Amino acid sequence: MNAEALSAEVFVIGLTLAAIGAYGVASTRNLLRILLSIEVIFNSVLLLFVAALSALPALSAAFSIFLVSVVSAEVIVVVAVLVAYYRVARSFDSTSLEEGGV
Amino acid sequence: MAGQLGLEIGIMGGLLAVTAYYVIAARDLVYASVALALLGSLNAALIALLGYPIVAAFVVIVYVGAAVMFIIITISMLGGGGQEKREEFRGMFTSLALASTAFTVAVLSGIYLAYKPPNTYSISQISQVLAGRYLPALGVVFIALAATLVEAITIARRAE
Repeated sequence: MNAEALSAEVFVIGLTLAAIGAYGVASTRNLLRILLSIEVIFNSVLLLFVAALSALPALSAAFSIFLVSVVSAEVIVVVAVLVAYYRVARSFDSTSLEEGGV
Repeated sequence: MAGQLGLEIGIMGGLLAVTAYYVIAARDLVYASVALALLGSLNAALIALLGYPIVAAFVVIVYVGAAVMFIIITISMLGGGGQEKREEFRGMFTSLALASTAFTVAVLSGIYLAYKPPNTYSISQISQVLAGRYLPALGVVFIALAATLVEAITIARRAE
């Protein structure tokens, strides 16, 4: 297998993960499930990011470290927001948010 | 060598796709979040196979070890929040729209050929990049992470 086929293989894997994550985000109204699906999309983005910047390996690694740090922080804030929402709504369903809040 | 690497990456990709589907399809959110931890670990293994072991270690330690564990513990304590309603058609439509758009853009731009197995690089090169040209960005990340911590504690304690 040559480098081009390898590159296309990595791209297809990343795209498949992104599609599965998008399916998860759009098909449910449970906020926790939406968060998990967004994390699937993040894994896809990280994979594609590493592959796309592979011509500059040190830069790619450094940017990936930035990416993982920021996403980890984002996860903690989102989970904190969901905990606060759950205390009020007693549910993780997003329907009440769409209807104008709890 | 490249053929064997291609096979390994293909197997890892298949496992990743199955695990990702389980994350969104599992009825119990605790199992789904555990599957997310497995997905992160498999993704780290794939990144290591692509020639980035330092990034892979960082993903396992920071992302799986901290962020995903935080999700697992939270979901275990709160539960799943009741019965889920599924809108299969909307999900399928969004997924196909995203995949076809990304595929078209990638084919037109040729970005799907961007990956080349990296030359050897060391952790000192990465630290030179981080502590040299991108030191201001690193400082901003440190401040943002500290602010995030305070923000999360504030939000979580607000209702008390």
